[in-house]
Amino acid sequence: MISPYDWQESVHQRAGYIEARLRGGSPVIGLGITDGVLLFTYRKQVRKVYEVYDRLAFSAIGQQADVESLRLTAVDFAHQEGYSRSEEDVTIGRVVGFALSSPLRRAFGDITTAPFVINALFAEMNRTPADDLFFKLRYDGDFEVHHQYACIAGTPEAEERMTTLLVSRYDPQMDLDAARSLADEVWRVGADRDADGTVDSSLMQGARQEVALLDRRTARERKFRHL
Amino acid sequence: MRIRPAKSFAELVDFPKSLGPVPPGATEAHGTTVLALRFDKGILNLGDRRATSANFIMYDKAEKILSLDDSTMVAISGSFARSVEIVRYLSHAFKYYARTQLQDMSLEGKLQEVSRALSGNLSMTMEGIGIFVPVVSAYDEVSKKFGIYFYDAMGARFESGAFAAAGSGSERIRGVFDYITRSKGPFDTRPLEDVLKDGMQMLDIAAQLDSATGGLEHVPPLAKTLTAEGIRRVEDEVLASAIHSVTKAG
Repeated sequence: MISPYDWQESVHQRAGYIEARLRGGSPVIGLGITDGVLLFTYRKQVRKVYEVYDRLAFSAIGQQADVESLRLTAVDFAHQEGYSRSEEDVTIGRVVGFALSSPLRRAFGDITTAPFVINALFAEMNRTPADDLFFKLRYDGDFEVHHQYACIAGTPEAEERMTTLLVSRYDPQMDLDAARSLADEVWRVGADRDADGTVDSSLMQGARQEVALLDRRTARERKFRHL
Repeated sequence: MRIRPAKSFAELVDFPKSLGPVPPGATEAHGTTVLALRFDKGILNLGDRRATSANFIMYDKAEKILSLDDSTMVAISGSFARSVEIVRYLSHAFKYYARTQLQDMSLEGKLQEVSRALSGNLSMTMEGIGIFVPVVSAYDEVSKKFGIYFYDAMGARFESGAFAAAGSGSERIRGVFDYITRSKGPFDTRPLEDVLKDGMQMLDIAAQLDSATGGLEHVPPLAKTLTAEGIRRVEDEVLASAIHSVTKAG
């Protein structure tokens, strides 16, 4: 028989286990600019930024298999909704809030299964940068809404440092190159885990930039592309 | 969240059941004449704007040329309700595949999916309604080649060389394609402006001989091009000058 105390204790341990594994993750930055919504990160072999739906994109820190299963769940939900209603009705708020948050919460609370090791960033492009939306989704199903820009990193402290820099430097009128270099700078701040002014060598070694854009101006059907 | 093998979009949305039943004897809107013609840089699709139901003109602004994705365009004739719904299904199926599998569906895969969607519609067509016949224009990003394909209502696919037409007015003008090829040279060597004029002429003839096909003057036809860069509507001025040259000559 599991007592309430055991449950609380094990949930606490699960959180510790997940956070330890997320620490080594490469940060991701999302910026809404005139050209569109930019998602920026550095990665090793495996791709990290994905298209979810026409105006929705996603990137995450965490265990590959968990990232993949979250991604497929989001893609399934978005396409079912888009097909049975309209493309316009597929919003990131509904994907995260209805399709992903509660299953994640359930998985986290179910101490008989392996927890999801994930910290995810979802982006939604709208008409102007002021309307662009970002959702941060945590391993326990909690999510936060951000406007215009957002970032995720391996630790809350790193995220905080990145956000401080973003707040002071973000400008929706930035061109693509300026946004890329700002994102690069912010990434370096987030990847400097012990805040000693240098990027962790484990993150930088063999890593290369991955930059994707949800293009606001294109007339093509597909808005998402890698740069 | 559960582990599951990759599934197709048809499984995800339970296609073709998701189309729903149509009672026999229902009247439905029909789209009529559409053409697909090669030109030197791609494929031109042209369609009149008329939708009819029995002997009524339902609508004179129907859009019968739709894009499935940036390299695939479809011109529809026949049951309007069914074709629009199936085009929606197909464009979602292509997107879904690309996003889940992280690669674009091959041209062969896309054409096969069109066949399957048509045969999924078969129970309906046996009742004599819901029949529709698409003409698919595609650009293969791998081989860098253009292709025009037409289908019968059961889903059989035929590759057509440089031109294809479908709909009630199409039979009246089929021979004209060959005549133009013989007298002016193959479509795929000629510029868009010339091919557009020929296409307009054929639509005009179809409208004269088929009551269900709308003409050029009342509402201009819809024209779209598929090139390596994607799908675009032909600009109004270009369209107007092509129409003018045809109606003036007539």
